[in-house]
Amino acid sequence: MSGRVIVITSGKGGVGKTTASANIGVALANTGASVCLVDMDIGLRNLDILMGLENRVVYNLVDVVEERCKLRQALVKDKRMPNLSLLPAAQTRDKTAVNAEQMKKLCEELKSMFDFVLVDSPAGIESGFQNAIAGAEEAIVITTPEMSAVRDADRIIGLLEAQKDQITQYRLVLNRLRPKMVANSDMMGVEDVLEILSVKLLGVVPEDEEIIISTNKGEPVSGTDNTRSGLAFRNIARRLRGEEVPFMDLDVKNDTWVTRIVNFFNPVRV
Amino acid sequence: MQILDWLFKVPTGATPGTAAVTAKDRMRNMLTHDRLELPAGKLEVLEEELTAVVARYFDLEPDTTRFDLKQIDRKAALIANFQLVRSKC
Ligand SMILES: Nc1ncnc2c1ncn2[C@@H]1O[C@H](COP(=O)(O)OP(=O)(O)O)[C@@H](O)[C@H]1O
Ligand SMILES: [Mg+2]
Repeated sequence: MSGRVIVITSGKGGVGKTTASANIGVALANTGASVCLVDMDIGLRNLDILMGLENRVVYNLVDVVEERCKLRQALVKDKRMPNLSLLPAAQTRDKTAVNAEQMKKLCEELKSMFDFVLVDSPAGIESGFQNAIAGAEEAIVITTPEMSAVRDADRIIGLLEAQKDQITQYRLVLNRLRPKMVANSDMMGVEDVLEILSVKLLGVVPEDEEIIISTNKGEPVSGTDNTRSGLAFRNIARRLRGEEVPFMDLDVKNDTWVTRIVNFFNPVRV
Repeated sequence: MQILDWLFKVPTGATPGTAAVTAKDRMRNMLTHDRLELPAGKLEVLEEELTAVVARYFDLEPDTTRFDLKQIDRKAALIANFQLVRSKC
């Protein structure tokens, strides 16, 4: 088997990398694929919490790299989904604990075991970023529609462009979109951000309180029905698997009475 | 009710001066400079110098020079427009 290694990255912190990693991982696993989530935010371990697996972490990624345990021993299997595993980050080390060469080797091994290897990365554009992308062939760039996040996403896109030989494809996830604010021209919408960044869109995730609730429960929203953000992440997973899932314009672009009424009765499709 | 307020407020479209339009304009300008690693203000200096050079060869229509830095697929193009009256040569 040779799986796909996809790194989830953003530049700016707090825009939703870890949330997206957990949710896309669960959604992919629910389509039947085998998935490994890799937490490369070494020193700031989060992904285990979002997955509700924090009590089951024994070994971590640094233990594997430094050969204190076998890879299989460090993988935490999700009891709810046997085809989903987590390779946790070390909590007491820092970003320099794993180098690019070691990461590449680790990803090679994981690729032979899983259909999808999703790498959650730390904020920043320095060594932590370079190490996180070292084993990947694809990237998901995540941003919110805020100016500072878009600027940092642009830096990341520039860096990914410079490594085209390795990263053959990258697409954007726009997170925390507030359709009503966009409709009121209070913030940039999907079209605006896509135009500014000249990048392909993978999905749009609306601002949703359910994300906070699901984080507290340790059950990513994409695993449950009836949430808009969960649907958004499931659509992203389907698009990653090559399915054509239509986007709806979340922006109420030409804000007229007709579009308003249509959007009122037919709210968000993502 | 907030939804009703919103539904019955007069539609705005992409009105100049809104926060969204201002953000987009600022973003465009900022990213153009970021991508080229161009310090703020340098473009204005270039414009002045370039205009002075062209003005050595041509009489220029006053106040018509236009300088635009455009982005096309993440690549930047500098578009300068001078309205010429006659050659000085
Ligand atoms: N679509 C969303 N709606 C509401 N809250 C969100 C959304 N996406 C992320 N968040 C919240 O934003 C915060 C940062 O998200 P996180 O995934 O940890 O970002 P990162 O990993 O990029 O630092 C978290 O508290 C998370 O619950
Ligand atoms: Mg994170």
